[in-house]
Amino acid sequence: MSKFQRVQNIVIGLSMLISAAVLILFPEGGCVYIMLFLAASLILRGISELIYYFTMARYMVGGKLILFIGAVFFDFGFFTLTLSDESNLFVLAYLLGFHAFAGLVNVLRALEARRYKSTSWRINMAQGVASILTVLICMLFSHNETLLVYCYCAGMIYSAALRIYSVFRRTAVVYIQ
Amino acid sequence: MQIDFHYYATYCAAFLAGYSHEECLAICYSAQFTDCCTRTLLSTIGGPAEAATTQLQLEMMDARTDILGLQDITRIWSSFHFLPRDLKADPGKGSRIYKAKYRLICGPNGDLLVKTVNLAKESLQAVGIAMHVLADTWAHQYFAGTPSQVINNTDYWFFELLPAEASGDSANSGDSRESGDAKRAFTERRITFRHNPTGKDDLDKGIYTSTVYQLEENSVMSLGHGRAGHLPDYSFMRYKYLPAWGKYEEVVKDNPSDYYKAFCQMVYALRYLRGDHETFETDRYDTEKVSPYETEIKEILEKRQLDACADWKAFGEKLSGCEIPDFDADRYCTEYKQASVDDKDATFLGSYIDAALAQKTMVTNQIFQSDNLLAGYSVEYNESRFLGIRDFIHYVENKKKKGKA
Repeated sequence: MSKFQRVQNIVIGLSMLISAAVLILFPEGGCVYIMLFLAASLILRGISELIYYFTMARYMVGGKLILFIGAVFFDFGFFTLTLSDESNLFVLAYLLGFHAFAGLVNVLRALEARRYKSTSWRINMAQGVASILTVLICMLFSHNETLLVYCYCAGMIYSAALRIYSVFRRTAVVYIQ
Repeated sequence: MQIDFHYYATYCAAFLAGYSHEECLAICYSAQFTDCCTRTLLSTIGGPAEAATTQLQLEMMDARTDILGLQDITRIWSSFHFLPRDLKADPGKGSRIYKAKYRLICGPNGDLLVKTVNLAKESLQAVGIAMHVLADTWAHQYFAGTPSQVINNTDYWFFELLPAEASGDSANSGDSRESGDAKRAFTERRITFRHNPTGKDDLDKGIYTSTVYQLEENSVMSLGHGRAGHLPDYSFMRYKYLPAWGKYEEVVKDNPSDYYKAFCQMVYALRYLRGDHETFETDRYDTEKVSPYETEIKEILEKRQLDACADWKAFGEKLSGCEIPDFDADRYCTEYKQASVDDKDATFLGSYIDAALAQKTMVTNQIFQSDNLLAGYSVEYNESRFLGIRDFIHYVENKKKKGKA
């Protein structure tokens, strides 16, 4: 992990912790702020991927992947934005869906890393399983909105802690000389 | 390339070019030391950090990928391991930054190679560095010495070409298929890349270690041939793949042939440096001097093994009749460390550091002169004040002294 990526992970981790705190303190309206933050992040990421595609990646073998990733991020950003004025329960369901998807991706990445005998698969698997468990617990308590928010916050705090922990972890890197 | 070629094969080439046993040892030590001279090593002996010719895994882990960090990485890897073939190359379409990266793609017989060889007249250490750079232009061609996904990435379309007689059972697996060649028949076997840093390449099963795919353009995982693993470093390897920059045109890499050319070109360059030729021209190979040993050399190059040190060593010792000591990176470190500040330049590593700084400043300058800022700014020496990186002060003063003398 480069220094920039370390800083990036700390910023994302802290943002997640702040978001969780906001949600715990204001379970009624906190969701809206989180949705706005999430939407802005996705849109910015989408734009940067699209710029990368049109300036460089379009000339690369397999570069279309960057275009698709950029378009998906951009689209999800706006979709998230449109949901921000819906009811809390609806917003929360969307956030949970998003969280479950992220968890699934983490599990898939962990399985792939394990197949390649990479040592980084455990942390990915832990993140993925925690995300999916959070979603399942939230679904169990779906009749109680406040409890649902707290469960979601617990999952978010756990993910943030893992992300910050990974910054300070030494990771073996394959380096070809 | 690895120690087998940079150390032992370079010794053989130098001996065939007419150097004495001791001179050959100095040249091949310097050639191999280019893969060892890291900032960490230089800090332990008190040398200038800017003379680093390579980076350790740990150094890469902490390497910055901001603009300055990328320029530092590019200076090291483009100068010593991925010498650009054509700094004016035109990829056709592409943004300015894409073209800048494309122009750093390594390849043999470029203008910078002529400059590198001409720079090597100063010392045997400089000769060693030049031979390392020359040999790597063959092994590392099609990759650039700067972190770049759009240039250095590879994908699943990666096949090893196994000579039919040597392919055995493993080549007849589900992924293999017959392929025709004018002279020899090859079978294709899809290569499986894994990312386990401690895992050894498995030649029988065709499983090789490479760096992990990263979506970021400037990830150090996309530096040089990391995404293709050690395949360019093995002399026996033949493979085909789709380079990221290649517009979906397949590239076939024939390492045995390339390595043989590299060896013959080294002999030619070394003979030029000894004064046997008036000029160094690209695309010239001393096949005449090498031809009596062609079969033996090609046998070593074609042998499927991860490390060909023993074979090259035996060949070198047969050539010179002298024992070639194993490479020891620390051989000259104590001498440099114990020398007084004034005497450091006269030591073996002092000359090596001087040669490394000369090579780095030359390549950085050429890249900068081609309107490409990927290796950073090159400051032309100005007598009134010094504007460059602090580590180069000593180098400039040395040059000045030599100029006056």
